[in-house]
Amino acid sequence: MFRLNRRNFIKVAASCGSILAGMGELSRVNALTGTLKLEEGGRDFSPDSGKERQAIPSACWQCVARDTILSYVEDGRLVKIEGNPASIRNRGKICAKGQAGINQVYDPDRVLYPMLRVGKRGEGKWKRISWDEALDLLVNGGDISGHSVKGLRNLLDEDHPEKFMFHYGRMIGSDSKIIKDNFLPAFGTNTIGNHTTICEGGKWVAQELIWGKHYDVNDVEHTNMILNFGCNFFETHTSHIQIAQRAINAMTERGVKLYTFDVRLSNTAAKSTEWIPIKPGSDLAVALAMCNVIMINELYDHDFIETWTTVTVEQLKEHLKRYTPEWAEQLSGVSASMIKSLAIEFANANPGTCISYRGPVAHYNGVEAERAFKMLDAICGYIDVKGGTCHGVEAKWKYPKVEPDKKPKQLNIIDGFPGDAAFPNHHVSHQVLKMIKDGRFGRPDIYMVYCYQPVYVNGECEENIQILKDEALVPFLVTVSPFYGETESLADLILPDVTYLERSSWDDMVCYDMIPEFYLRQPAVKPLGEARQFQDVAIELAKRLGLNLPFNSTEDFIKKSCEKSHVDYEYLKKHGVWHDPDEKPHYLSYTKTLTIEDYTGNNILFDSKTGVYWNWEKSKAGSIEEAVSKGYSDTENAYKGYIGQRIGDKVYAGFKPDKVNKSGKFEIYSELLKKKGFNPMPTWFPVPDIENKKDDELILSTFKVNVHTQSRTANNKWLSEINHDNSALINPITAGKRGIKNGDKIKIKSAVGEIIMKTRVTEGVVPDLIAISFHLGHWQYGRFASGRKSPFGADSDNDLKLKWWSEHGVNPNWLIRNRPDRIAGQWLMNDEIVTITKV
Amino acid sequence: MDVTAENRSYSYGFLSIVYLQEPTKVFIKSLKDSNIMNVLNESGLQFDEQITNDVSDKFLNDLVLEYTRLFIGPGKHISPYESVYRDNEDAFWSETTVEVKNFIESFGLEYSSYWHGLPDHIGVELEFMQRLTCHEKEAWAQEDKKTAIRCLEFEKKFIDKHLIQWISIFCDKVKKESRTAFYREMAELTRKFIDFDSELINSNLAITTY
Repeated sequence: MFRLNRRNFIKVAASCGSILAGMGELSRVNALTGTLKLEEGGRDFSPDSGKERQAIPSACWQCVARDTILSYVEDGRLVKIEGNPASIRNRGKICAKGQAGINQVYDPDRVLYPMLRVGKRGEGKWKRISWDEALDLLVNGGDISGHSVKGLRNLLDEDHPEKFMFHYGRMIGSDSKIIKDNFLPAFGTNTIGNHTTICEGGKWVAQELIWGKHYDVNDVEHTNMILNFGCNFFETHTSHIQIAQRAINAMTERGVKLYTFDVRLSNTAAKSTEWIPIKPGSDLAVALAMCNVIMINELYDHDFIETWTTVTVEQLKEHLKRYTPEWAEQLSGVSASMIKSLAIEFANANPGTCISYRGPVAHYNGVEAERAFKMLDAICGYIDVKGGTCHGVEAKWKYPKVEPDKKPKQLNIIDGFPGDAAFPNHHVSHQVLKMIKDGRFGRPDIYMVYCYQPVYVNGECEENIQILKDEALVPFLVTVSPFYGETESLADLILPDVTYLERSSWDDMVCYDMIPEFYLRQPAVKPLGEARQFQDVAIELAKRLGLNLPFNSTEDFIKKSCEKSHVDYEYLKKHGVWHDPDEKPHYLSYTKTLTIEDYTGNNILFDSKTGVYWNWEKSKAGSIEEAVSKGYSDTENAYKGYIGQRIGDKVYAGFKPDKVNKSGKFEIYSELLKKKGFNPMPTWFPVPDIENKKDDELILSTFKVNVHTQSRTANNKWLSEINHDNSALINPITAGKRGIKNGDKIKIKSAVGEIIMKTRVTEGVVPDLIAISFHLGHWQYGRFASGRKSPFGADSDNDLKLKWWSEHGVNPNWLIRNRPDRIAGQWLMNDEIVTITKV
Repeated sequence: MDVTAENRSYSYGFLSIVYLQEPTKVFIKSLKDSNIMNVLNESGLQFDEQITNDVSDKFLNDLVLEYTRLFIGPGKHISPYESVYRDNEDAFWSETTVEVKNFIESFGLEYSSYWHGLPDHIGVELEFMQRLTCHEKEAWAQEDKKTAIRCLEFEKKFIDKHLIQWISIFCDKVKKESRTAFYREMAELTRKFIDFDSELINSNLAITTY
């Protein structure tokens, strides 16, 4: 009987091969032509009609990662979202949040028309008005429910344009350039707030002090070992899908090890080679001890330290020797032997990369911790190398920019109270409402909030509400939003913005392949109701105010940006993404040498103290004499004229500074910090609240789950169906001491508030800690988020009848004080101390 | 892995030619040069034809007549299309046909203008497997494991959803109806090869994705 086995198969196959070879050209025999390409997605068919759906390339906006997507449209309705397979960034993949974006468009509680308050502020009584009326009110002021408000034109007439404050949560890419670089400067206000310090402002400032501009990209796909301090990148990250898939590739295909230090067993920790539980606020100690081990064992990159950093090997050894693993074990609970072995493994990995995020950064010593993580990468020589920790590479768009007649003015309320933060490079957004309440530094007459929920996302929710409710403190509150959130409920005027799936913009998020990718966001469907993209509204406001902008619509702005950037607009519209196919990954860009033409010229100075060449005219120096006498470090905004760094007899591109006058070196020793009275070298200091915590007190830690963003997804029914309720996680030891059992209701109390919620007793958090996720507990934002119908809610969504949950979770922000760290102004959200009692 | 994929690709390529069209002189010559029938007989098949160098060889003529009688007609013949076995006897251009066509075309391949049969012909399906395994081989050669595994996954999908579903019925019919040893034994080889390859794909996937 005939049987095929591996042995005779080889013989048969060889004969088959020779027959094929003997037959020569087979094109007339074969039935198939063309080149086989593996389908990567990119097409979709209606399950009902079988018809192909229209795929519109666009970009996500559920979170800051802003992955590229394909929006599938069937009969004019958005029906499905997938990743765009043509993208080198997210490679055709998106997360659950991205897929649920459809829910944003068809949220039955959306605001679809301009709305004017008619009752008391916060009372929930509204009148629909036309866009013309809304913009007229905004420009000329008027009466709102018996309360008279100034308009934008009044502020111009009074020469106080800075009393128009624009405060945004998410506004990036061309959306930001139209508003921040055109509309607002043309109007004359620089009172512009953001939300970075409630995210990762401290991380960025640390990087600006040590190596220049964020974002840092951990090249996990090419690395040999990953050390992760408090980052949950398999569930959430500024480049979530990019980093998660590359890390998984490295781990599954090459067996790369990932070690996660975290106070909580996140899903990232669970999927790591090992989860290393660590005491809150002690990551800095572990990183310093690891650096010490590497130095003692002579495993450091001698040339990088001596050539590129601001310290010598000997100085580093001397500075770090006090940080023994045994010392760090006392502080962190991580065993000394583990610290030693991981440090040695990391230094030998060549390359490895160290990931960090808000876990360690949102502590009092968070900036220092971030500096220590970068030092750890640096002493091993892992900076900007393939598989190491690299400067992010993003599309450099050129775009039209207004030249205002007058320098824009600013109220001093965006960088915190004097003395709050030494380097408020990213402002101190969580102090803005407190400063408005305080009043000493001025108050805006018009406070416009764009894609931002200040009452919900900052700490001290109760105080935030009281401030925004008070017409004496905030005379005119305008919100720009597609949804009826907590802030909208307190507004005077709501301008209905479009969702990101009805929006046009170009975008530029970093690419983990280290090649710039240009991409576009384009509407999948026409805006519902009378929603208008705010950028177009701003352009109309400019016209009404007689301000000249160098473009006449959002589309015009995008087209002009494409022309200036040499990117084909039509190609982008068709494919959604573009990158130069000849481009090579941008590694080691700091080692690029400059030619003498690059660093000589009438306006270029050499600063002998730092070795920096700089163009003084780009700084705020009034004259060349002033620039020479003050020098690079002490001239305001000198970093803007940075050209290169002299090392030996060569001039290099170096580590280009951003926001501070750092030299072109990798500044492990920071003269800038020293001048402000801080430790110049990454140095241990404890978190006072944690240090002084009493035995009955707990440290509050917050975290994100994989299906929600901080404040803007609870209204997405698909996501809230998965995650709509949260528990406070506590360790069995901590629970046991207090007689608390799994599922018990507890009251959690801090200096500023209290909440009641269920507990989940789990070994998945360290003792003396309580961990609460922070996306839930909305008291507005529509029925899927809070159970409350917005005043404009429709009953059109059949799923409203199928909604089976009535819990909407608890928001921990009621408990957290709005305090900044003293270097960057980072919100100390992980330092809050609470007590708990069983209810 | 790339050698295995290459061997599988050769096998699919050869078998597809057996069914795609009636034998030609060149085919017969390379059949002879390759010594394949002896190789197969050593493994237990029973080809009894002798191939000579004579171009007007009776063997070629007999085979052409037999191919026509078996697969084309006139009169009662064995339909070489999947849809006939999957849907019903009159099912030309049925759902299965469209499924096969869509699947193949989703890989960027097109049906040649020289091809006059339907999209779900046994020869086409085998040729498609040849293309996939060839792509897999190239991926292994470039150490692109991810692509190679994706190829294996698609091969598995196509075999499981299509070839396995009808190949044994078709081959049994050919074995029964054939008046020449050549098509009878080729049918046996085809059947056994598909079973063999299906197992091979499963074990390769198990190894590579472990």
